[in-house]
Parts: sequence; C-alpha cells; structure tokens
Amino acid sequence: MRLTRRRFLKLSGAGAVTVAVPLHGAPARAQSGPVRLGILAAKAGVLAPVGESGLRGVQFATDRINAAGGILGRKLELIVEEESSPKDTVERFRKLALSDKVDAVSGAISTGVGLALGPAAEEMKTIWLAWDATTQKGVEESMPKPKYSFRSTDNECEAVMASMLTARHWKGKFKTVAGINPDYSYGRDNWAAFLAIMKKHGIELQVVSELWPKLGATDFTSHVATLAQAKPDLVFSCFWAGDTPIFMKQAHAAGLTKTTKFVLTTGGGVHESLKKDFTPEAAILGYNCFYFENPKASALAKEFTRWHAEKFKEWPNYESDHGYFTVVAFKAAIERAAKAGGGKWPTQDAIIQGLEGVEAESLSGPRRYREDHIMEATFFQGFTTYRNRYDFVTIDPLESMSTKQIQKPSGVGLYDWINGWKV
Amino acid sequence: MDQRLEGLTLLGILLGGVFHAAVLFLVAAGLQLVFGVQKILNLACGSFYALGAYAGVSAVRWALGAGLPAPLFFPVLLAAGLVLALLGPVIERLLRPIYGRDESFQLLLTFALVLMFEDVIRFFWGTAPHQLGNVYLAYGQVRVGGLTVPTYNLVVIGCGAAIAGGMGWFLARTRFGRVLRATAENREMAEAMGIDMTRVYARVFTLGMALGTVGGALVIPATAAVNEMGIDLIVEAFAVVVIGGLGSMRGAFVGALIVGVMKAVAIATWPEVEMLAIYVIVIAVLVLRPAGLFARATA
Repeated sequence: MRLTRRRFLKLSGAGAVTVAVPLHGAPARAQSGPVRLGILAAKAGVLAPVGESGLRGVQFATDRINAAGGILGRKLELIVEEESSPKDTVERFRKLALSDKVDAVSGAISTGVGLALGPAAEEMKTIWLAWDATTQKGVEESMPKPKYSFRSTDNECEAVMASMLTARHWKGKFKTVAGINPDYSYGRDNWAAFLAIMKKHGIELQVVSELWPKLGATDFTSHVATLAQAKPDLVFSCFWAGDTPIFMKQAHAAGLTKTTKFVLTTGGGVHESLKKDFTPEAAILGYNCFYFENPKASALAKEFTRWHAEKFKEWPNYESDHGYFTVVAFKAAIERAAKAGGGKWPTQDAIIQGLEGVEAESLSGPRRYREDHIMEATFFQGFTTYRNRYDFVTIDPLESMSTKQIQKPSGVGLYDWINGWKV
Repeated sequence: MDQRLEGLTLLGILLGGVFHAAVLFLVAAGLQLVFGVQKILNLACGSFYALGAYAGVSAVRWALGAGLPAPLFFPVLLAAGLVLALLGPVIERLLRPIYGRDESFQLLLTFALVLMFEDVIRFFWGTAPHQLGNVYLAYGQVRVGGLTVPTYNLVVIGCGAAIAGGMGWFLARTRFGRVLRATAENREMAEAMGIDMTRVYARVFTLGMALGTVGGALVIPATAAVNEMGIDLIVEAFAVVVIGGLGSMRGAFVGALIVGVMKAVAIATWPEVEMLAIYVIVIAVLVLRPAGLFARATA
C-alpha cells in the first residue's frame, strides 16, 4: 500500500495515541506470572519499629498465601521500598507503579507521607492500601472521595475508645487533666478528641498543662517537672513509640505515677518496653487492633504470635495486623472480582470494586474495607496489670470495641459525630 | 508555704534543665574540641552520643546478667563509653582526606557517617527501643518537701560538672593540653616546633568522641536508646556552639546551660515556644556578638 500524505497523518495520529495512552492511563500490568505487590515500609528513624512490624505481617500473609497456591494460581511477589520523607516516598511509589509495574502498593505509616501518597495514587492510577497514615485532614479535606486510595482506621479511634473507658470508669474521680502528646497531627487530633468526648460526657475538667514534645523526643525531664508542678489528677498521652517508656520512666522517677491516673492510648505499640518497674497498674493502655495475649484470639492469631515470637524473639503488635489485612483484603478482592467476572483475572477497576466492602479474616479477627475505602477493625484496650509472666505490663480486664462504635461513619465530620452521641 | 512550694517547683524545673544541659555539654564539648584543634565540623558527634547509649545498655545488661549489683552500674556505663571511643583513631583516619578542605566537604562526609552509624545501630541492635528498666532508680530519689528528684539525675549533673572542670584543668595545666591549645592557635607553628600532627589529631578526635559516647552512656538509665536520638542533639549542640563560640570549651559549658535551662523554663511556662526560645538567643548572639559569647572575633 502506497503511503499517501493522508495515510501518513492517520498512522502518525494512531501512533501518537498509542504512545500517549499509557502516559495518561494506568500503567500496564501483567496478566500472568506473579502478582506484584509493592511495599512501602519505614526503616529508619522513629517509624522504623512500626514499619518493621507492618512488614512482618505482610510477609506472614504472603508466605501463607503462596503456600496455599497464591492468588487464583498466581504467586504473590513483594517488592519492598522504604517509606521516608513524603517527597522521596512518592518517588518510590512512582517507581513501583511505573518501573516495577506492581498491581498495588501496600504500606505507609506517617500521616505526612499519607497526605502526599493519596494524590499520587490517584495520579498514577495505582491502588494504595495504607497501613496507617490516616489524618482527618487526609480523609475529609485532601481526599474526600478517592478511587485508588484505601485508608486505615481513623487516627482518633484509640483516643475515642480510651476516652469512653475514661468516662465509664473514672467519671467523678478526676478534676484536673494534663496532656502530653507528640507535636503533629496525630497528637493534636487525639488530644482534641479526648477533650471533646469528656465534654460530651458532661465531665467538667480543668486542663492544667498541655505539653507538645517533638515526635521522637528522648528527654522528658523538663516536661515531667512541669507536670509535677501542675499536679494533674489524670495525664492523657498518645505517645506510641520509644517516647512512651522514656516518659513513663521519668514520670515514675519524679513520683508522678503514685497518685496520677494515666491514659496511654497507643503505648501498647511498644508494650514490651513498658516495664513493671516504672509503669503503674490500673492505667488505661491501648493496643490499637492487636493484643498478643487476647484470650479469645483465633487459631490464626495464635499461629502468628507463635511465629513472631520464635522468629523475632518479640511479641507482636498492631502494625503487623494492619499490614496482614491489606494483603489478605487484596487477595479477597481479586477473588471476589474474578468470581463476579466469570473466573477471568479481573481488571483494576474490578479489583477496586472488589475491595469496596470486602471482608477478610485478619490477625485480630474479621476486618473489612468500608465502601468509602476506610478500614474497619476491632480495637483492644484495658487496665494495666502486673499479673502475668513477663517483666512488662499487660492488660486485664481486656476491653474490645469495634470501629463501628469508635470511628466516625462515612460522610460525617468527627466532631459532628461526637456531638451527636446520646450519652 | 505557697512561696516555698513555688520555689521547689522552680528548682525541679531548673534541675530538669541542668540535667539536659549536662549531657548536652558533653556532646558540644566534643564538637568544640574537634573543631578547635582539627577545624572539622563534626556532625557525627550526635552519632557518638547514640552509639554510647546503645553500648551503655548492652554493657550494663551484660554486667547485671553476670551478677553485678545494680548500684555498681555507673562505672560500667562510663567504661562502655570510654571503650567505644577506642574506635576514634579508625574514624579519624577516614576523615583525613578532608582536612583543610571546604566546610561543605566536612559536613557531607560527617553527615554520611551519621547515616552509616544509623545503619550500624540497626544492624547490631535492631529498630526497637532499648532501655535499662529500673536501674535509673538504683540510687533512689531525693525528696525535698513536695519535690522528688531521681538521685541519678544529680549524679549525671555532678559528672558533667566534674568533666567540665577536668577538661579545663587538662587544657590549661597538662603538657598535652598546651599542645592542643598551641595547635588550635597556629597549626603550622606547632608542627614546626616538632609536634606530630597525625598523632595529635588521632588523640584529640578520640577524646572528642569519648565525650560524646560517655554522654550517651550516662543518659541511658533515664531514657531509652532509639536510633534517631543523636539527630536532635546535633541540632542543639550546634545551637550551643553558636551561643558559646566555636572552639571554646567555656562557651560549650555556658551555652549548654543556657540552652538546657531555657528549654526547661519554656516547657514549663509556654511550651509552644520551646525551640523558638533557644533560637531567639542564637539569633541575638549572631547579631550582637557573631563570634559567640566566649570566642574571639576573627577577621
């Protein structure tokens, strides 16, 4: 066929469209060979232990899935990258999407990183299953209706549950309150939620000190001296990393733990470091969504706890459960979408539909993604006790609450939701 | 009665600040010493502090496991910090190519060391926080009225003061101290007088590192060893250096006291300005006395 000017233009146009489509559409993904899951796990700084914990949950899930034949017969392959600053993590997300051509990305803990990854996932048209990294700002303002981002439970779930327990057990038993929380959105959001819930329960309190140490601070001697001066009846803290044992140790040394009630919403994330030597009994302690000594734990949770203790010489914490759930939910969504599509490997849009409302058995029990892409789970908290075989505190009695009780429903503002409670 | 109580709480807050200052002084003194003699801006001083903390945890755990009575942990901590500093000559050897080069090379290489030491810590100790349980209270608490202060805090403050005094004596009264001052003043002249610079540099770097590692080891009973613990301290140590004057040991002492106490008072009165308060002083010093409170202005 002779190449006329008209035909040349047609071919050029078709060529241009062919080249342009991958640039503006989703990256091409393999329909055979292993299913590729990109992982963003923090490995440095204050987030490192949490990132490591999430990765362990992901690895455990992947090993189990592959041992059972993979996802619809395809092996699951992990490509692990590091979560660091928002900018660098977005670059790694792009690399996972464009170069590694992953089928989805699982990971991210930092709320700052989460705010940056949400728009990147939409732009790259790549499914992102967050482990944590869910701020109100991210949920309500930056990404109100994301297509590709699937968020973790709300930041404030722990504070909401701890506040409910505080109101239920200690109403009328405290008057003055101090807050010591890390100075970023998580700390600020949790403290604000606590105060709002106290008000809702009609608890008249006086805030005698609000302290905002930097995330990752390792010296609280001056903060503790300030608290000793303020003499609060109750101290509320959502420390979740190495700051928790350091603060408790210094608070104990200054005599604060003798008379003051403590609400530690998230300290269970570093539970082994909360030694009996300096952590008081009868403090409210939160473990987020996984408590390693849950007497009602499933066979799966017991198997994971055993595996974790043998392999890492540590008792597992909640981030493993977040990581585990993202993987099994992804598998369940693919299988659900394939079933709806007559057994064929589903498209990405079908997988997204499959993820919406999907339920899967996680380490902490059944978990699901809501239709608005927010996780649902069960949270565990309780009162610290020395009655155990360890050198650190555990909790007894154990209280559990579903996110149906402690997480704002879809489409409602957090404080509108709290103000609407009937108490 | 109320006035007495207020006095006690003020004392408690000040003691918290001085405790922090004691540790900060050790790290800043190491930074000052290395800069004064070797003219190297050593960012890795924060890593030495973190490494000292981890070494302290491991050494005390081992010693307690071997049956050492808890009150004897203090000399073990000191020894851990000092033994770790024996790595000083090896690290100093790595830094030799940047002597006399632009400060940007020094900052880049020493920052590279910071990142490498973070990985070293992760490799040997993992990512979880490490701590020493209740060793902190092995010396009990001092109670004055309503004020309770862990005795160990006072021990660290005393130790910091003793090391400051010892450093002053060492630099002013010993032969090696005079050699260091001569080298800091005029390296070429000191070399012409027959001083072996290679040896002096290795020793002074080791001494600077020992100040950092001992600082990290001493603080560990009161805190927990976490990988990033050195980073914040580097920033504060540089604030100390700007306030006190680069290269001045007396400047490090006074600068650390100003930063530590200022931070404690800000936390107690207006926590939002904790860092701002420190940097207002830094800016004031830079504007009014650019060479720092205790350094001579240079052309």
